[in-house]
Amino acid sequence: MGNIFPTWTNWIAVKVLICLGALGTAVVALAWYSWTPKYTRVGYMPQQPIPFDHSLHAGQLGMDCRYCHSFVENSSHSNLPTAELCWNCHGPGKVKSDSPKLELLRQAMDVNDENYTGEPIKWVQIHETPDYAYFNHSAHVNRGVSCVECHGRVDQMPVVYHAKSLSMGFCLDCHRAPEKHLRPLDQITNLAWEADDVDREKFYEELSAVKGVSAQKLKEADSNKDWTQELLGKHLKEGWAVNPPQQCASCHR
Amino acid sequence: MRWFFLIFTILVVAAVFGLRLRGDKFSQPPIEIFNDMDRQYKLKTQKPSEFFADGMGSRRPIEGTVPMGFHLPASKTEGIKSTPLDFSVGDSYMDTGLVGDNYGKGFPEGINVDEAFLARGEERYQIFCTACHGDSGNGKGIVSKYWGVPPTKPSREQSNSDEGYQQKLAAYLAEVESYSGIPPTANLVDPRVAAFPEGQIYHTIKNGKGLMGAYGAMIPVQDRWAITAYVRALQSATKTN
Ligand code: HEC
Ligand code: HEC
Ligand code: HEC
Ligand code: HEC
Ligand code: HEC
Ligand code: HEC
Repeated sequence: MGNIFPTWTNWIAVKVLICLGALGTAVVALAWYSWTPKYTRVGYMPQQPIPFDHSLHAGQLGMDCRYCHSFVENSSHSNLPTAELCWNCHGPGKVKSDSPKLELLRQAMDVNDENYTGEPIKWVQIHETPDYAYFNHSAHVNRGVSCVECHGRVDQMPVVYHAKSLSMGFCLDCHRAPEKHLRPLDQITNLAWEADDVDREKFYEELSAVKGVSAQKLKEADSNKDWTQELLGKHLKEGWAVNPPQQCASCHR
Repeated sequence: MRWFFLIFTILVVAAVFGLRLRGDKFSQPPIEIFNDMDRQYKLKTQKPSEFFADGMGSRRPIEGTVPMGFHLPASKTEGIKSTPLDFSVGDSYMDTGLVGDNYGKGFPEGINVDEAFLARGEERYQIFCTACHGDSGNGKGIVSKYWGVPPTKPSREQSNSDEGYQQKLAAYLAEVESYSGIPPTANLVDPRVAAFPEGQIYHTIKNGKGLMGAYGAMIPVQDRWAITAYVRALQSATKTN
């Protein structure tokens, strides 16, 4: 009786194994690459009902974030501005009041407009933490964490997009080492700020008031260290006793 | 077989990198599988709600009720202390800037104008007023470039001849004319505004005036007074110069 299986079948098991191995690797690679908020969220840039431009208003015109997001320091939610606020500048006889881009604003605000509805503008939310996690803006911006750490350079974005992953790992990276991110409180909304911009004399003055050590002593202790974000952040962290929580229950309450 | 591996590799690479790279812009909402814990059915800040017939998640106050951060008007609230986040404090001078029907003079009781208060005022001024009125209050903030810069009226002392003065005056009047009826952003360090009582500046912040919209909905009572104090400081700084 001759061979039932031709000789090429000798290798079939090995080949199938190799293929399955390759397939497995591919699936793992795919999951590693794309099953993460770094992939699913970063870059999310929905079209907004009015093409509102942060790079113009916050960048070029230099408006402070808190002009519009006015309760970010007091509330867990960072509010979007009312149509009334846009109307203060874009109302009749003011800036670009006839622009076709502002049609929806006129519908919301202008009682004399033929299409007046009074409906609020339905902005599309971009950043959205899951409801099982607790997040609070005021806890961060009053402790020296700038908008830029979590939202990127919004003042350079013509259209806002999701710039950071805002995953749990992202939150914890900072909670474990906040000194890499802290800055003086008056620079929270200055997204272009760098540690080098600080007036060191003034910084040590203020620090000595917080720490109760003379500015001279503090400066001497740092005399042979480089002026870096870490050094500045370490001072602020100690001065303000910043201690971001890492227990599960502080975010999953 | 060789072909199989080649095609397989290409497919895998295409699957991993071809869909979209990390960080690429996209406009479809992110995919969420089993998101019933992520997006719970409850009322959320500044979100619509299907629960109410009009679809508005943020409810208007029911008649006869007072929202948090606001106080009942009139005598019931006499003696209340305002906290930094209050948007109204009863019916007092502190709340309205008015004494009877006139603007009140001076700062109300309970407002203590010290260095910290002025610093707070400066910060708030720079957030809410600089865009239009400028850092120094001269009405030449960046938005006024798009809107209208207040011309400064020439004074006789600055010109060395009467003729020169007349020319400047004519230019000034022409400039005023060219605003075609839109009054420009007010100059806050002008003697006209410097003569305002404190209550009038406060009232302008809270309710707006003419072309200027109201900022009462964004700035709590105490901050409005802090800004008023800072505007006063700007005015006296300009006067002594
Ligand atoms: C402090 C004043 C100010 C406020 C407040 C303001 N804007 Fe503007 N906006 C401007 C200026 C100045 C321009 C530039 C006009 C130009 O380029 O000539 C502008 C331009 C625009 C444009 C482009 C118009 C066009 O035809 O090119 C849009 C759209 C716009 N704003 C939307 C908004 C919305 C929405 C809001 C409210 C969230 C808002 N703005 C609030 C001052 C303001
Ligand atoms: C003139 C008013 C105005 C100013 C000033 C402003 N914003 Fe906004 N912001 C808006 C409006 C309106 C939206 C909603 C539309 C959009 O997403 O573009 C928004 C949306 C956002 C969002 C996305 C919110 C979401 O849906 O997740 C972020 C983040 C943000 N702003 C940050 C900032 C930062 C940081 C600054 C200061 C550099 C700033 N904004 C200044 C009006 C403003
Ligand atoms: C520590 C990180 C962090 C910082 C700092 C931060 N944000 Fe946010 N921001 C978030 C997260 C997370 C969300 C999504 C919150 C949610 O789902 O309600 C968000 C949402 C927003 C929104 C949408 C409305 C909302 O609250 O859901 C706006 C607008 C916004 N941020 C503006 C700002 C501004 C302006 C600043 C600086 C003054 C700032 N954020 C600082 C993390 C941050
Ligand atoms: C860039 C740094 C940074 C990032 C990113 C960050 N945090 Fe924080 N977080 C802090 C600091 C600083 C504090 C304040 C600690 C203190 O007050 O001692 C804090 C405090 C908190 C608190 C305690 C607040 C309270 O009310 O007790 C919670 C909850 C929290 N963060 C959640 C989050 C979540 C959720 C994220 C991710 C979306 C996040 N944080 C991202 C720095 C950060
Ligand atoms: C700094 C705040 C913070 C702390 C502390 C924290 N988490 Fe989270 N956690 C989050 C945030 C924010 C998310 C949502 C992440 C996202 O949407 O990508 C999350 C998501 C999760 C998820 C769901 C993940 C998923 O993809 O569905 C689990 C499970 C979880 N956390 C467990 C824990 C456990 C266990 C601990 C304690 C060891 C913990 N968390 C501590 C902020 C935190
Ligand atoms: C959107 C631009 C804009 C902003 C922001 C703004 N103003 Fe004005 N303001 C104006 C304009 C325009 C006028 C002139 C109004 C008129 O005469 O019709 C004015 C007038 C005034 C006046 C004089 C009122 C009168 O009776 O003549 C005062 C006082 C004043 N503003 C104070 C402030 C203060 C304080 C702030 C900050 C909280 C502020 N403004 C923010 C545009 C603005």
